[in-house]
Amino acid sequence: MDDLPRGPALLALARDVLVNDLLPLLPQQRRLDALLVANCMAIAAREAEIDDRSRAEIIGELEKLIGPDFRSPSRSAGPSLSRIAGEDTSRSEARERAAELLRRFAGELRIGAFENSPEREAFARAILWRMTIARLRLANPRFLAANGFA
Amino acid sequence: MAGTRSRRSEPAAGAGNDRRPALARFLAEASGAEACEITSLAPLSGGSIQENWALDANFSGGRLAGEQRLVLRAAAATGVPSSLDRRQEFAVLRAAFAAGVTVPEPLFACGDTAVFGKPFLVMRRAPGTAAAHRITRDLALDPALPMIAEGLGRELARIHAIRPPRPDLAFLTPYDRSSPAQQIEGFRAYLDRHPTPRPVLEWGARWLETHLPAPVPPVLCHHDFRTGNYLLDGTRLTGILDWEFAGWGDPHEDIGWFCSKGWRFARLDREAGGIAGRASFYRGYERDSGTAIDPVRVRFWEVLASVRWAVIALQQSDRHIAGGERSLDLALTGRRASECELEILMLLDPSGLPADG
Repeated sequence: MDDLPRGPALLALARDVLVNDLLPLLPQQRRLDALLVANCMAIAAREAEIDDRSRAEIIGELEKLIGPDFRSPSRSAGPSLSRIAGEDTSRSEARERAAELLRRFAGELRIGAFENSPEREAFARAILWRMTIARLRLANPRFLAANGFA
Repeated sequence: MAGTRSRRSEPAAGAGNDRRPALARFLAEASGAEACEITSLAPLSGGSIQENWALDANFSGGRLAGEQRLVLRAAAATGVPSSLDRRQEFAVLRAAFAAGVTVPEPLFACGDTAVFGKPFLVMRRAPGTAAAHRITRDLALDPALPMIAEGLGRELARIHAIRPPRPDLAFLTPYDRSSPAQQIEGFRAYLDRHPTPRPVLEWGARWLETHLPAPVPPVLCHHDFRTGNYLLDGTRLTGILDWEFAGWGDPHEDIGWFCSKGWRFARLDREAGGIAGRASFYRGYERDSGTAIDPVRVRFWEVLASVRWAVIALQQSDRHIAGGERSLDLALTGRRASECELEILMLLDPSGLPADG
């Protein structure tokens, strides 16, 4: 139903025109601004094509770690977070619950809640790695590559 | 401070024109000149918190008689509470200058807002560039960089030779209020206010809390000693800049900050500020200070540096999101927090690298 080219493709084209056609015409002192605009466009394009599955998997792992009893304080019950992409959970509700779970995870890390169990501690660290790499794939894939991550 | 040394807090080019007469009168009086004519006053790029102006003036008599190339440094519109005011920064600069640190000679400080609209200090203008990406990318500089790193080690040792008690620096935050434990408390207070949870920063702060180093006698720390905050004129170091965060602290804090990955710019592989291996920098420091650097303490402070830089990056982007400052640069800086988080994981969990990336 959408007109072509779609949003991300349009954004990529616009960025290409900015960097290759317009940037060389700008005075030296404004080129950094243009590069910042190009960077914003690249981030926006990557975020527009975000892989919801990978995010849902991370949330699913968090749910396993924090415990099956976890329920968002704002809701007494609800479908499993691992079914975040399912039709029975609205996107905004899922986001809210995921944010709450993340807050809980951060709080547990602050007090060292996983430190008495090597297994849970290792599981928590694996989630931290996964989360960080997922964020950098959007924000700065070049930095990720420079640190040896494909 | 944080971020690249560009596109920050630059006042409009003509903004200083109506202030010239009052400024000229102040300069004449402060230098003992009969008169002072300002021949040029133009904004300089650089400084995330302060605004800097290139000031050329012709003094008739007095201790600066003749043409002078100066810098006027004033607070930008958005003040950051943890930074020194200009008169305090002036006192720190004077102490550093007297201790033989390569800094532009500080000349005057003025707290009277009728002169320039805000407090300011005036110092000599040193030649050179502080552009970190250029310094870390310029192949022509490469052969000289280990020597420059060694020189920076010596400079830092001279800064650290300034120790309390110092009545002239009595305003500096005492070490017990800027200790790692206090800093961790500050990070957590910020994270509590931040709308998005940052689990890696919490994890890093917890590691710091459980690995606090034993306190050491405090020294003067620059607290933002890094590539991007020194001037190079060719291969010659001409000035250590941006003293607004100076305070008493553990000397390893500055060493960890200088070496942390967030300040290596184009050369992540060169661990001393993106310009050389650690050996050159450490050699300069150890020779001049007569003190051995403790790598365990440096590692602690490098982890803290990554948490601190992440928090600063988020705060910078808050200035755009909630502080009313429309800025692409500030908006993008918040995304850099994830780079610090990766570094925290790489430092503390090197064997935990996920097999699938």
